[in-house]
Amino acid sequence: MALAADMAPDAARLKWRRRGNHAAIFLGLLALWQGGSSAGLLDPLFFPAPLDILASFWRIYVSQGNVWYHLYVSLSLVLAGFTAGSILGVGLGAVVGMNATVRRFLQPYVIVLEATPRIAVAPLLIAALGFGPQSKIAIIMLVCFFAPFINTLSGVINVNRDRMELMRSLGASKMQMLRKLVLPDAIPVIMAGERLAMTSALSGVLVAEFIQRDQGIGALILTYTRNLNMASAFACILTLTAIGFLIFKGMEMVDHHVAYWKNETGMKRMTEKRARVWAGRRGGVAHA
Amino acid sequence: MNKIAREVETQMSKAGEGAGTVISGRLVGKTFANGAVVALEGASFDIAQGDFVSLVGPSGCGKSTLLRMVAGLIERTSGTLTVHGEPVKGPRRDVGLMFQKATLLDWRTSLENVLLPTEMVRKPTQADEDEAIALLNMVGLKDFVFSFPSQLSGGMQQRVALARLLKTGADILLLDEPFGALDEFTRERLNLELMRIVAEVKATTLFVTHNIGEAIFLADKVMVMTPRPGRLARMVEVPFARPRPAELQLTPEFNALVAEVRDILGTH
Repeated sequence: MALAADMAPDAARLKWRRRGNHAAIFLGLLALWQGGSSAGLLDPLFFPAPLDILASFWRIYVSQGNVWYHLYVSLSLVLAGFTAGSILGVGLGAVVGMNATVRRFLQPYVIVLEATPRIAVAPLLIAALGFGPQSKIAIIMLVCFFAPFINTLSGVINVNRDRMELMRSLGASKMQMLRKLVLPDAIPVIMAGERLAMTSALSGVLVAEFIQRDQGIGALILTYTRNLNMASAFACILTLTAIGFLIFKGMEMVDHHVAYWKNETGMKRMTEKRARVWAGRRGGVAHA
Repeated sequence: MNKIAREVETQMSKAGEGAGTVISGRLVGKTFANGAVVALEGASFDIAQGDFVSLVGPSGCGKSTLLRMVAGLIERTSGTLTVHGEPVKGPRRDVGLMFQKATLLDWRTSLENVLLPTEMVRKPTQADEDEAIALLNMVGLKDFVFSFPSQLSGGMQQRVALARLLKTGADILLLDEPFGALDEFTRERLNLELMRIVAEVKATTLFVTHNIGEAIFLADKVMVMTPRPGRLARMVEVPFARPRPAELQLTPEFNALVAEVRDILGTH
């Protein structure tokens, strides 16, 4: 204990020194970049000056404020496409996984479809569904479908044999087998698929908006680039970086929450919760 | 049905009527790969109500196969096998099974794992919960009711599995090397507790092990089995009175019996 107490301030100091170093290097690079731009050494078409990008941020978010609408459009599409695509993927994955016959017949098609780059189908979808949000959502659904589908399928197929035997020895019905063993057992793998799908959804919406450049953040980037307004295009891209990061972190949080038995903090939280619920129901004292 | 099988059937029905017989097998056999591999060759036995019977033998003697057939998890290829006088056709609710691995559901607390068998039949009531908690107390997990399997040691996980087995309410317990994956000390302690608990719930128990000493120490009768092909060599009576202290295993009488069983296994 004494040792830990001695170590703690040192570790904290080290952490802050590291952070300071990172910040210094980052600011140094930015300064170099800005200096190079001001001196005319960097082509503004490829490397708009940091201060110009900062000004663009101000313009698109505050003075002109045009980015909000496009963000709203894009993110709504992402949400709709992701939800529909992943629900379809998980549902179909569970059905196919549970039924050996269906699985045998569908397997070759799945392999062929998996080998086909999904984006290649995008123009066909637009041709089939026409311009508008419906074809954009379809594109996002398409890129969001496969990871949850494949993961659910493999999760459902690879259920632990011993646990299957246990459930059988307890006289479980097919439905009980699915609800009490197969689906919960597959949750961590399904969640891994959902995380992949969510990342694809962001790329999917951009592709859709590059093809039909009417509105959305993808269309905005395209417009700025065509007008050689590289600083604003950069600001949009950095916005997407931030959104991508938030999505990643958000999905990680959801994953930790849903697959709580895969991490220590999750289990601790659930243990407390279960004990509290139990005690509340009994009006007694918590048991654990 | 051929003549021999019919004969066996009559024989069996006679045996099944015997006082207090719970599990009865007549020439029970199991082959795999269309008869190419003989896992168990014609085993005949009767197990009485409340008996603790060990199945002992080396790997490949068919002891787990026999246990799984009694559990109704695999079908026999020959002979007749009855539980409570009825031919075994599939898993039964009055037969509970425990494996070498605890096989707990990771997303469930100890309490929820113990309630799993009940959930197959009905929505657990408060009385069920109380019973489950009492069982967890019984196996020494009072402070781990709301813990998850991965937070428990191997021995503790097996204790949860034992509590779950008891919650099935089955009066026939089938244990397939239940503590085989645990260290020597934990295993011995859990064996002692198992003896106490089984006596308390008055269950009929089949216990598979490859440890001769363990088989004798726990059981009223030891089914000695030999491999290639799997065969029931002999049923050995264990005369020692209960409760049995751990020190029993150091007595000459105990070791004489161990030697006897080893002889049976060795001569085959």
